[in-house]
Amino acid sequence: MLSSMKEGCHDPKTKQTQLLKPGRRTKASGVFHNLQEMQHCASLVTKVFIQRDYSEGTVCRFQTKFPSELNIRIERTLLEETVKTLNSYYMEAEKIGGQSYMEGCLACATAYIVFLCMETRYEKVLKKISGYIQEQNEKIYAPRGLLLTDPVERGMRVLEVSIFEDQGSAGSSPSSTLSSDSSAR
Amino acid sequence: MPASGADALKPSAFLPVCTATCLLVGATSLFFVFTCPWLATTICPAVPPCCAILFLFVLANFTMATFMDAGVLPVASEDEDKDDGFRAPLYKNVDIKGVQVRMKWCASCHFYRPPRCSHCSVCDHCVEDFDHHCPWVNNCIGRRNYRYFFLFLLSLTFHMVAVFTFGLIYVLHHMNDLWKLHFTVTVVVISISGLFLLPVLGLTGFHLYLVSRGRTTNEQVTGKFQGGVNPFTQGCCNNMEYLVCSPISPKYMARPCKKRIVHVQPPFLRPGLDQQMPMKVGDNGLHTLALENKVCTVELSDIKQMKNPPPLPPKPDRGLLKSHAAADGTTVTASNDFFVLMLLSSILCFSQLLKASEQQANIKGPDLCSGFRESPVRGIHQGSVSVQPPLQPNTVYSSLPLNSRSLALKHSCRYGSKSQLPAMQSDGWRSSPPRGIFTSSTVLANQSSNDGPPFNNFINPTEPQLMSQRGAPSVNFHSHFMVLGSDRSVQCPPPHSYSPVFMGVTRQSPQARDSSLRDLVSQDTTLPKSAAARYDNFSKTIMASINERRELEERERMLHLQARSQAHYCADVGIYDIPSKRSLVPDNAGPSGSRGPTPPAYGSREFLMSTGILTYGMRTSPLSNSSTLSLTHGSKTSSSPLQNCSNSSLQNKGKSSSPAYCSSERQTQAVPSSTSTLPRLTSTNSSAPPYTSYATAKRSSLPFPSEGKESVTLGALK
Repeated sequence: MLSSMKEGCHDPKTKQTQLLKPGRRTKASGVFHNLQEMQHCASLVTKVFIQRDYSEGTVCRFQTKFPSELNIRIERTLLEETVKTLNSYYMEAEKIGGQSYMEGCLACATAYIVFLCMETRYEKVLKKISGYIQEQNEKIYAPRGLLLTDPVERGMRVLEVSIFEDQGSAGSSPSSTLSSDSSAR
Repeated sequence: MPASGADALKPSAFLPVCTATCLLVGATSLFFVFTCPWLATTICPAVPPCCAILFLFVLANFTMATFMDAGVLPVASEDEDKDDGFRAPLYKNVDIKGVQVRMKWCASCHFYRPPRCSHCSVCDHCVEDFDHHCPWVNNCIGRRNYRYFFLFLLSLTFHMVAVFTFGLIYVLHHMNDLWKLHFTVTVVVISISGLFLLPVLGLTGFHLYLVSRGRTTNEQVTGKFQGGVNPFTQGCCNNMEYLVCSPISPKYMARPCKKRIVHVQPPFLRPGLDQQMPMKVGDNGLHTLALENKVCTVELSDIKQMKNPPPLPPKPDRGLLKSHAAADGTTVTASNDFFVLMLLSSILCFSQLLKASEQQANIKGPDLCSGFRESPVRGIHQGSVSVQPPLQPNTVYSSLPLNSRSLALKHSCRYGSKSQLPAMQSDGWRSSPPRGIFTSSTVLANQSSNDGPPFNNFINPTEPQLMSQRGAPSVNFHSHFMVLGSDRSVQCPPPHSYSPVFMGVTRQSPQARDSSLRDLVSQDTTLPKSAAARYDNFSKTIMASINERRELEERERMLHLQARSQAHYCADVGIYDIPSKRSLVPDNAGPSGSRGPTPPAYGSREFLMSTGILTYGMRTSPLSNSSTLSLTHGSKTSSSPLQNCSNSSLQNKGKSSSPAYCSSERQTQAVPSSTSTLPRLTSTNSSAPPYTSYATAKRSSLPFPSEGKESVTLGALK
């Protein structure tokens, strides 16, 4: 799932042609000689970690406390909504109920061979979470220069929020395209 | 054996597991070959199938326990632990269901180990819900595979018991064939099963005990919860249910995921300030005043954008706006402290008025909002709000200040602590909306004059001139605070100190006010910066008693003031012309121009804390800033701990209006909060809900007294 803006850094002077020929950015001191350079305008500045909320034990919950570093980057309610939704997903995944009973019995009955064929409920919810985070990133966080990392990649210990800055307004050299990819470790 | 550590991959590490495997499989195979045919024919044909199924179960669990990832936590990236450098503490405390649990820094994995997590030295990784490293399976037993390990033990016990029993039966029936192969093999099998039955039985019983108590082997061996409460247990039955039926948690290492790319390209959206303000207004809980919210939002944005002072008292306002603009400043002069107190008092009055106006369905509109919003801004500079003599009735302003104050009160009620009420009472006349709120103060003064004598000791002696002079009633108020602060050790300030009656009594002549103001300022500067402990200690003891008496007085006063409220509304434009205040304003604006009312109030915070108003002040000022000006975002963060503390404490305590709760809650919350990110109280999950809940609680708890206060403040302000 790619979500990219090929316009690169905005250059009001050469809107139409900046994709075709080297454009001169109005803000940066450097000159872009190729499309690749023009596209890479954001750089990772820092990361904010939203820690786990252990107040109710080892169930997976993240703190909904709003980090101060994100005050100027995103509205509080958006991030809180995201975290609350994630918490609800994790609560659903860890819920002990009928489905978990059935899974356990089936696994026992088949000598756990079923795990080779079928993915568990938790894994299914994790996929949902991953899709949700991806959607949130594309719709809300990437436009604000932020990126959420799936907590499962960090061992469910933290929810990592990467903060990017507009490299173009600060300096000349472009930086690499920022991507959030959940890759195999 | 998904062991990644060097020790786990040593050849010697495989010896126990190979031995266990060989013994298990070999002995059982011999049992099935040599003993089971006779058992099937002699005892029951179902015996071999049942034993086979049981053995299959044993093998399955053994395989899962051996090869399943126990819940290994991946090593933290460098970005995560860059803040936890050499100065990072080794332990972090976290509160789990009221029990303090310590999280230790893992030097190998570079993170603070979650609760119940431990680092396996054999495998060299941290394991979630670490139980132990089992050499017989050469694997860590943790969150993901403890169930299989336990079931393996359980099934192995039954299997060994079955093998031993049936083998014994066979041997007893074939005592005559001692030297036959079947007999010998069966004797060997029952010897092995008998030999290992006792340790396995013991281990199974031990883990049954652990499960019933909700502990891990690691916790049992290290004696973590030996004498205390185990926060992780859910009761024996629930623990068993969790053990058997809980969903398998995911594997964190080597997750196969498809690569998804999200490109982050500037320009980036930024949260608009005016966009934020409506949200904050909404978070403030002004739900019932939708119209006012909208209007106030507009007004807030207008005020926020106002860098110039509002129409009335320009100089003070300018300075005040600047101080508001940099609300998270820490360098505050004593003048700012004084102004902060004024602001707080004004906000308190407004909140009270707001309640009264709600109840009376007398809320009016936009100009009130603006007036309200401006008043906190201006209020600090208007600290020298003088009390107009009650002889200046101004019915024109009667409703406006009332409504604006109502809005202010409502707004302040969202965030203020219960201590608002006493502060409001006393500060009601302090607030200085552009239209003048001094009538209420005059009313207070009038009333206070009735009860004056007992409180003379707390104020400067020049009371009689109070009513007729503009001055700094707030100075008197401050002196009152100062007295309280200095008398903190007294621990028993009179409840009337917060009452309008008292405030009225404390009004002084301008000269006295000026001098007292300067004294106040000097005292503010001399006060220690950090007074959290003092605040807690002081407010606990004081506010509890104060609130009780205050509530009673409120009810009484309300009846009186409602009758008088209309008659005492009058505007006091001249209040803004207090030379002392203006002279102070540039001083404030200069050195601490970038600071808002909340941070500047470190000095006055002492007074506030001593009077129990601090939580309100801390909460209201940044919130006022955010909702009114939103010029700085840092102020919220700087006061958020107290805000969260106060809010959460209020939330937790419900109807109680005592700031002592706030302080006590803050204490309890401050200790267990995880300091992994910021030294904040983590008890509150979000800042918005506590405000709302607090507003609800506050409203519901003080509907009646607030009416009285509102009328009182109206009169005073007018």
